[in-house]
Amino acid sequence: MILTPKIVARLVVVGLLGVLLQLTFFSQIELFHVSPDVLPALVVVLGLLGGSLTGAVSGFAIGFLLDCLLIQPLGGASLVLIAVGFAAGTFRERFEIHSRLVVPLLCAVFTLLAELGFGAIEAMFGINTDVSVLVLRDILVKTVFAFFIGWALYAGMRRLVRPALVDEATVRRTRRPTVLGA
Amino acid sequence: MYRKQLRRRRAVLALLIVGSFALLTLTYGQGSNGIQRGVTAIFTPISSVLDRALKPARDLINWVDETFDARGKNHKLETEVQALRKEVVGGKVALAENEELRALLKLEKSGAIPSEGGAVTGHVIGVSPTVWYSDVMIDVGSADGVKIHDAVINGDGLVGEVSSVTGGVSKVRLISDHSSRVTVRVVPAGVTALAKATVGEPNRLVLGFFNADKRVHEGEKVVTAGWRGGEVESRFPPNIPVGEISKASIIEQEAQEQAIVAPYADLRNLNVLQVLTGGSHE
Repeated sequence: MILTPKIVARLVVVGLLGVLLQLTFFSQIELFHVSPDVLPALVVVLGLLGGSLTGAVSGFAIGFLLDCLLIQPLGGASLVLIAVGFAAGTFRERFEIHSRLVVPLLCAVFTLLAELGFGAIEAMFGINTDVSVLVLRDILVKTVFAFFIGWALYAGMRRLVRPALVDEATVRRTRRPTVLGA
Repeated sequence: MYRKQLRRRRAVLALLIVGSFALLTLTYGQGSNGIQRGVTAIFTPISSVLDRALKPARDLINWVDETFDARGKNHKLETEVQALRKEVVGGKVALAENEELRALLKLEKSGAIPSEGGAVTGHVIGVSPTVWYSDVMIDVGSADGVKIHDAVINGDGLVGEVSSVTGGVSKVRLISDHSSRVTVRVVPAGVTALAKATVGEPNRLVLGFFNADKRVHEGEKVVTAGWRGGEVESRFPPNIPVGEISKASIIEQEAQEQAIVAPYADLRNLNVLQVLTGGSHE
């Protein structure tokens, strides 16, 4: 992704909107008794479109904003989302995305890892009470949601940052010109 | 060229990770800091507007989920209504007796919710996205008289306590959070206990009894204890309804000195909350 000021501004707006919608909408709805978590999927999509550095930086920024708005220790969510963004970006840099299923699957897998990561951070500071097996159900259902959310997010984000995508630009340049009257 | 790019990439990644650890170390265990106060001050108005604008969509999705859930609860509720009818009659008799006794003792009337101090009403404007934390953000803060450790209730009963506060926003630690501890009393058994949460199950609190000489039974009510003294002091005013005993097997009570409580408040679906200001104590 070619990061022009316009594209950076778009990414900032997407990040802000993502965090605000997560807190005011997605965290407050329930399907099968579980609320979807869109933020790991958003960071994965940004990593896949922009590369490892864009993924890590957006993971840090989104995590930081989340921690600020939830008035919780700063850095916890950032650590998890940096790892997710960097890993997704590295995947993009090493492998080609040939199938349409790759992106949703990556969103699901990285959401699963992110939820476990949030748990690990919390466990690092001590959980002095019982942990129900239902936590696993919650994480797994969130993973399934992330599959579908990732699908939609990737399509939307790709459209939003299309002018900055290197492969899209290459495709446009190599397209054969239309010859009038041919 | 590629090596330089790789080095720069690694440096930025290292900087972000070190920065995150540094922030975590510096801010862990503290309340709100200057950055958070600034950020919440900027984003709270936007969150409030978004929260209200999105409420119809949220309600629609939650309605679908609740409709499926409600189908299985109908029969159970009918049985409960019958049991409650009997309790209402008993309660009215007890109220009449209570009035007489209060008159005799010249005590002031007081309801279940303490009348001292005030109450501030706030809307939920944000909910933690992961299952590991049970926090909600409400749109009232220190400017409205809210302080840390103030009790928070809704129409059903105790919801939690204020754990951090900024000028216009408060963070409420729900009773389902793993760090929450509530000293409670089981009525009419009179047993005191400590209610702890179970991570991943907001509708399940575990009661650890302080004195196990009396037994509790399913259906008995649990209210905040509100007493001072001992190792664990109640930060909540007394007699706020918490929930009712949903499982109290004799084996569990004897072996583990514990029982299970279902909270009255639906902690997954909170909208309007009331902060009881001035009545809490550290």
